[in-house]
Amino acid sequence: MISVKNLSHSYGNDRKLAVKNISFEVENGETFGFLGPSGAGKSTTQGILTGLLKLQKGDVSVAGYDISRVHNERFNTIGVSFEQSNVYSKLTAKENLQFYAKLFDVPTRDPMELIHLVGLLGKENDLAGTFSKGMKHRLTFARSMINNPELWFLDEPTTGLDPAIAANIKDIIKEKTTAGTTAFLTTHNMFIADELCDRVAFIIDGEIVLIDTPSSLKLQYGQKLVVITYLKDDQVVKETLKTTDEKDRLRIGEVVNLYEVQTMHTKEATLEEIFIQVTGRGLV
Amino acid sequence: MKNILKIFMRDLKTARRDSMALIIIIMPIVLAIGITLFTPGLADTTVNLALLKNDDPAHIQYMENFAKVELFDTRQDAIARVQKRDDVAAVIRKDKSYEIILQGNEPNMVENYAASLSALYETGQTIEASNVTLYSFGQSTSPIKTMLVNMLISMTIMLAGMLIAISIVGEKADNTINAVNVTPVSQTEFVLGKTLLGGFIALVSIIIALLITGYDDINWLMILLVGVSSMALSLIIGFLMGLMSDDVIEAATNVKMIMLPVAGSILGYELLAANWQWTMYWSPFYWAYKANQLVLSKTADWPSVLLSTGMVLLLTLLVYFAAKPKIRKGLS
Repeated sequence: MISVKNLSHSYGNDRKLAVKNISFEVENGETFGFLGPSGAGKSTTQGILTGLLKLQKGDVSVAGYDISRVHNERFNTIGVSFEQSNVYSKLTAKENLQFYAKLFDVPTRDPMELIHLVGLLGKENDLAGTFSKGMKHRLTFARSMINNPELWFLDEPTTGLDPAIAANIKDIIKEKTTAGTTAFLTTHNMFIADELCDRVAFIIDGEIVLIDTPSSLKLQYGQKLVVITYLKDDQVVKETLKTTDEKDRLRIGEVVNLYEVQTMHTKEATLEEIFIQVTGRGLV
Repeated sequence: MKNILKIFMRDLKTARRDSMALIIIIMPIVLAIGITLFTPGLADTTVNLALLKNDDPAHIQYMENFAKVELFDTRQDAIARVQKRDDVAAVIRKDKSYEIILQGNEPNMVENYAASLSALYETGQTIEASNVTLYSFGQSTSPIKTMLVNMLISMTIMLAGMLIAISIVGEKADNTINAVNVTPVSQTEFVLGKTLLGGFIALVSIIIALLITGYDDINWLMILLVGVSSMALSLIIGFLMGLMSDDVIEAATNVKMIMLPVAGSILGYELLAANWQWTMYWSPFYWAYKANQLVLSKTADWPSVLLSTGMVLLLTLLVYFAAKPKIRKGLS
């Protein structure tokens, strides 16, 4: 569905590249996570793939179209959910979706169905300009599904949403990807990526440092840990110990025998921890 | 074409909900009504005379042929009328002749006209007895009214640019240009859709304004040709100003700056001597104003209209090529 070969991009005439010679492929029906901290090159890559940024160097094919050439009809099969909500503030929620539905040359979804799906029912006749940031974000997300996209670009789809709505959005994404939609998810939220993605790419300073499945990454880089809190001299002490390390295993036994254990949990390495381990950088 | 109309219809809907856009749409029509109401007074050169009811009926009838006559019962009433704000001369019989009573601040023409009329009456002169031959170019419209209506057309065309600028600023504020860029709508269709909004509203406003002001018997094809060609420049400026501005006020201020060359071009056409008119040839607004002036005064012929519109289009093309990179970049 997406093929990127030796893609590079620079915003100025200087030699500083925002994206440096990256290559990857996204298969049909796959949910591909593009993960990295702010300024890593995620949005630049997505901008090029969606045609919002001009291709400067490299070979990129999206939904079967070579993006170095103008093919506006390719957008009939593509949906884009932007990180920053972008809806017409002087149109109502329903009018926004109705307007965009008219711009596609393929059968589109019922605006009211989408409004209901993202939890905006009852607000369909309110001007989008009166919406909260979260409501605008949901409307932007709903709009990205209006043309039943085969390829769905999702840029930070749950950022700024309260947990209940974020969970709803995640469920919608899961439902669509399970039904066969290919998704390209750009995020710095590793928990969402872990939950939704078949494969993830770690990008930092414009370079992809790793591409793999979350489960494989956990096997490869993650360590099983035990977090123990216990009382020592009337003080609560917390220790994180590796179950794979002989010395740590002995220490676990020692703590259990000598002290009053308050809590003890096993813990799997998160994608975020793996990211930090692999790149040496955090995700802020 | 389908996508252009969709963009246009959306913009029209938004414009209806934007108070500044509504003012821009309504303003030319309000001004046209104002011109219609006030120009008869501005263009009226009729002299008003105050006579007495008991005056010689032949004298009253003679004066009524050449002036607007008001009749009063007494000399005091006639004098009281003279002392009101407008220009009225009282012509009152005294002995075997007439005296002319003035407030003192009337134009000389009023005094001379009243005195001449009285002299002609006293010597028994009539138009029929004159050997004068009358020639007329047949212009039936007031030059002041034509000038005001032409200014109104220029202003309406600039307001079309302002409408585009407001629409673009709205798109920027809502960050919606990117959203349209990921649909099958091409950038050209998007630009044309927006252009249609300004162009359509301006053309409709111009047509309504011309009908209101009584210019319904002009050559409409000529006026539309001049209108469309001069609008092209206004719309390009509107796009440029919209993309350069961050809010509606800034866009309005930027577009208003363009009013300066428009006003300069009008003043140049109206005030410069014929041998200095060439100094305004650089301005497309000058050519548009000149062409409109010819059409409105019904003295236009196709070669002169085509020359003016050709100049407008040529100069617009130069502006377009200069502005194109900025417009393209701004819409990306």
